[in-house]
Amino acid sequence: MSNTPLVIENLSFQYRTRPELAIEDISFDLKQGELLLIAGSSGCGKTTLARAINGLIPRSYRGERKGRVLLHGRDVAEMKIAEISQVVGTLLQDPERQIVASNVFNEIAFGPENLGLPRAEIASRVDQVMKRLNIEYLLERETFNLSGGEKQKVALAGVLTMNPSILLLDEPLASLDPASAYEALDVFRSLADEGKTVILVEHRVEDAITINPDRLLYMEDGRTRYLGPIRELPREIDYTQVKLPAPWVVQRVKALDNAPVVSPKPEVKERGEPLVVFEDVDFRYDEEYPLILQNVNLKIYPGDLIAVLGPNGAGKSTLVKHAIGLLKPTKGRVLVEGQDTRKMSVAQIARVLGYVFQSPTHMLYAPTVHEELEFGPKNLGFKPELISKSIAESLETVNMKEFEEYPPLALSFGQQKRTTIAAVLAMRSKILVMDEPTAGQDFANYTRFMEALCGTYDGASSILSAHFAATLFITHDIDLAVTYANRVLLFGDKHIVADGAPEDVLKDADFLLKYRVRPTSLLNLNLSLLPKTGRFLPAESLAGFA
Amino acid sequence: MNDKSTWEFGTRQVVYGAIGAALYGVFSWATNIFPLPAAGNITFRPAIAVLIFFAVAYGPWVGLLAGFIGNTLGDGLTGWGFYWHWSLGNGLIGLVAGLAMAGISDFKARGDIIKAVGWGIAGIAVGMLFASLTEMWVGGIDLNTALFGYFTPAFLGNTVVTVILLPILMIAFAAVASRRGR
Amino acid sequence: MLVTWKYRPRNTFIQRLDPRTRFLFMFSVIFGLTIPEIWDFRIILPLFAISLTLYLLARIEWKDVRRVWIFIFIFLSLIIGLNALLSGRGGPSSVTSIPSPVLFYVPILDLFGWMVPITISKAWFALNQMLRMLTMAILAIPIPYTMDPNVYGTAFKRMGASDNVSFTMDLAFRFLPTFARDFTITVDAQRARGYEMEALKGGLVERIKRLSPLIIPVVMQSTVTGEEVIDAMDLRAFGTSKRTWIKTLTYAPRDYFMLGLGALIFITCCVLKWGFGIGDYFVPDFFTAFFVG
Repeated sequence: MSNTPLVIENLSFQYRTRPELAIEDISFDLKQGELLLIAGSSGCGKTTLARAINGLIPRSYRGERKGRVLLHGRDVAEMKIAEISQVVGTLLQDPERQIVASNVFNEIAFGPENLGLPRAEIASRVDQVMKRLNIEYLLERETFNLSGGEKQKVALAGVLTMNPSILLLDEPLASLDPASAYEALDVFRSLADEGKTVILVEHRVEDAITINPDRLLYMEDGRTRYLGPIRELPREIDYTQVKLPAPWVVQRVKALDNAPVVSPKPEVKERGEPLVVFEDVDFRYDEEYPLILQNVNLKIYPGDLIAVLGPNGAGKSTLVKHAIGLLKPTKGRVLVEGQDTRKMSVAQIARVLGYVFQSPTHMLYAPTVHEELEFGPKNLGFKPELISKSIAESLETVNMKEFEEYPPLALSFGQQKRTTIAAVLAMRSKILVMDEPTAGQDFANYTRFMEALCGTYDGASSILSAHFAATLFITHDIDLAVTYANRVLLFGDKHIVADGAPEDVLKDADFLLKYRVRPTSLLNLNLSLLPKTGRFLPAESLAGFA
Repeated sequence: MNDKSTWEFGTRQVVYGAIGAALYGVFSWATNIFPLPAAGNITFRPAIAVLIFFAVAYGPWVGLLAGFIGNTLGDGLTGWGFYWHWSLGNGLIGLVAGLAMAGISDFKARGDIIKAVGWGIAGIAVGMLFASLTEMWVGGIDLNTALFGYFTPAFLGNTVVTVILLPILMIAFAAVASRRGR
Repeated sequence: MLVTWKYRPRNTFIQRLDPRTRFLFMFSVIFGLTIPEIWDFRIILPLFAISLTLYLLARIEWKDVRRVWIFIFIFLSLIIGLNALLSGRGGPSSVTSIPSPVLFYVPILDLFGWMVPITISKAWFALNQMLRMLTMAILAIPIPYTMDPNVYGTAFKRMGASDNVSFTMDLAFRFLPTFARDFTITVDAQRARGYEMEALKGGLVERIKRLSPLIIPVVMQSTVTGEEVIDAMDLRAFGTSKRTWIKTLTYAPRDYFMLGLGALIFITCCVLKWGFGIGDYFVPDFFTAFFVG
């Protein structure tokens, strides 16, 4: 066995079903204990590279492979999958899909069970790994009921019981809230310090570099754009493709001499009649369960663009489901345009309030985009002329006209996301509610998506302000609140703990940390420049002030 | 997707057998909560179209496992217990319907959809006939009761659902499959 | 809308039994009654008593099973009633071949345009049938309530199923809550688009079609999930060699007792029927006497 855990030589791969190369001429090697960060936007080839390292290419994904991938000197293509699995441990993006057992113990034991190891050996490995990750307290739990962070630790434990020398982590932060993400990153660092070779595939560069990766591999269009240390900002990295720390973005914008764009946020003019009112709302599912909402008071006014921040599982979605009437308060009341939601059907409320769920896959069903958009208006009993007019306008608005006769299920994730917005637009609701609008999209895509919704061009008003009286979105990404919102609700401990302009709510770091909201470099830079700017701005726009 | 060896039984079949079973269980349970209108004693179980879809898309082993385990889960979720012959009958539906897989190349082509529906109906006939006839032996009913009390309503209800929903599922699947690189 | 598996840990005799014991015992009774075709109430009655005892020992709360029992009684009555009307062919032929006084006629036209006679023999048979079906059903009903979902896979494996089949069972249980949640989210998402389940308009075809917004998203999402799960399992060496099943099952003395009892029931039924000719259907004199006087 060679000492170099991983050597990649001139690797190229083309999927059998695709006309172009997915990755082209990649070469690098990794030493024991080295931590490599691989970054790039979706479609840059990082997933393909990961599959070539863990042996899924050429085993499960067919195509033409050139070059070599050597694990401790042996080519992946010649190793058995059982052998590879004991050298490369892969943590997939969504732990929910990686976990294959109903309870924690069985999940962690799954790999060694498949190797046919003796029971005593398996039990001792499980024990060791649980101790190492400090998750002994989870032993008796059902995997389904774990939090996102716990699920990921259990999934990681299930990989570590195979005793791999290389850990391959594919977008491990995607499904975690910021506080859990930082815990996970610390674990990855310490595993590298103990001698594992760690490959971290992640587009959230800003977060990943806090654990000092030894090197960065930046990819674009299947090729290596940069490979080397990260001590200072490598020039090759495109700040619009991956998420960089705000000071780096500012530096880059200045260097490129790009004119900073300052798009105005919607101003709250006159506070008219509130559209939605929460009055002393309590909620629990059943007598036996604890309260999820307690004494919630909230008024949503025309002109509001609200970001609801707070840790996962705090009850943000529960709050919003009350606005659309999917849940009714246990105590207190919720009024939509002055009417008690208890006396309204969800369909009636849907005329006022359009709700876009987190994942488009939970709602898209029709054979064509046109029929998909027809669904809501038809349910609401719109006249045929109004339906076709609504559909045409909403397709125009989200720039999807050419896809009208396309099956929504065949669209890319970003296009599906826009289809869901169009579906709500077609219902002509007054208020738009979005649950984690950026979930499942990489940085480049979600920036484009949010810009399309909130951005203003040539003085024209944004999609949001032109079509909706108010917008509310749930997020755990504080930068979305900084960049796009004109009002921030901080949710924690079953009720709203802060409500106001982003500049006011987000100024106290200790207060935010108390509710597991972690200040970002963008927030910090904005706070330091606030005397000059007067309000929060996106990183690029800050270049004019820094 | 590409290697259509009908009787292969590896990780792929295990995973889709389990997923099909879980979905069949959940949808069967949901039908018990929101019953569809029934004519006489015919009950419509939309879940059956999901079972046949998994069989058609992933083959006879997946159909057999999804039908057997899924029916067991559905009865269990509802709290009815474990009736081995009805679970086996559902497994047979999936097994027979799964024989369609080898002959299907395009999930949105009319000819292939008709083929799939045909195999689905054959599966329903075999599976429900098996369960109904076994009921003669288990429950001591006579042939007429088995045919008119059990088989006919189950066969008709399931066939109607399959004819309506299976094509919709297949067309949707064609769209989803077009996104995949494998 | 919460989907929950009905299992709850209880400290009962039934739950301490090995799951294999419970399946094997249930099959002993079912096959003991069906293979030698036992219809003699003198054999059915004691078996019913044993099944009922086991059911009561499981200590399942009445509120959990109330709906199920109502359903089962309605269903069995329907089937048994229908059978009494239609019977003549199949079943133990002695039901109709025994000369038996007619109790009453059901005034419907059967296939031959006659009134359907309900004889004393048919009535006794219906009672027997109810008892016999219940003997089997009350063994089947407690299983989801009293068997830990985590042991099904191991139990199947130890009863001789392959690694793949047994693991499919485990994996199905793993995904059940995931898809139940996905389904709930989809229902909510479509309701937020004005979809109303209660207001299904149109004919039967239209109504079944209207279910697709609830079914399609969940099923299609699951096909995508499957591809990722396959990768996850391959990457942890599933199917590469003979698997170790970490959970072990061992028979305790109580299991041997129950297995012995099961074997005894099965063998007794066979021996009585085929050895001594006992177990066929007949109408006891006291029942006839009750009507004829």
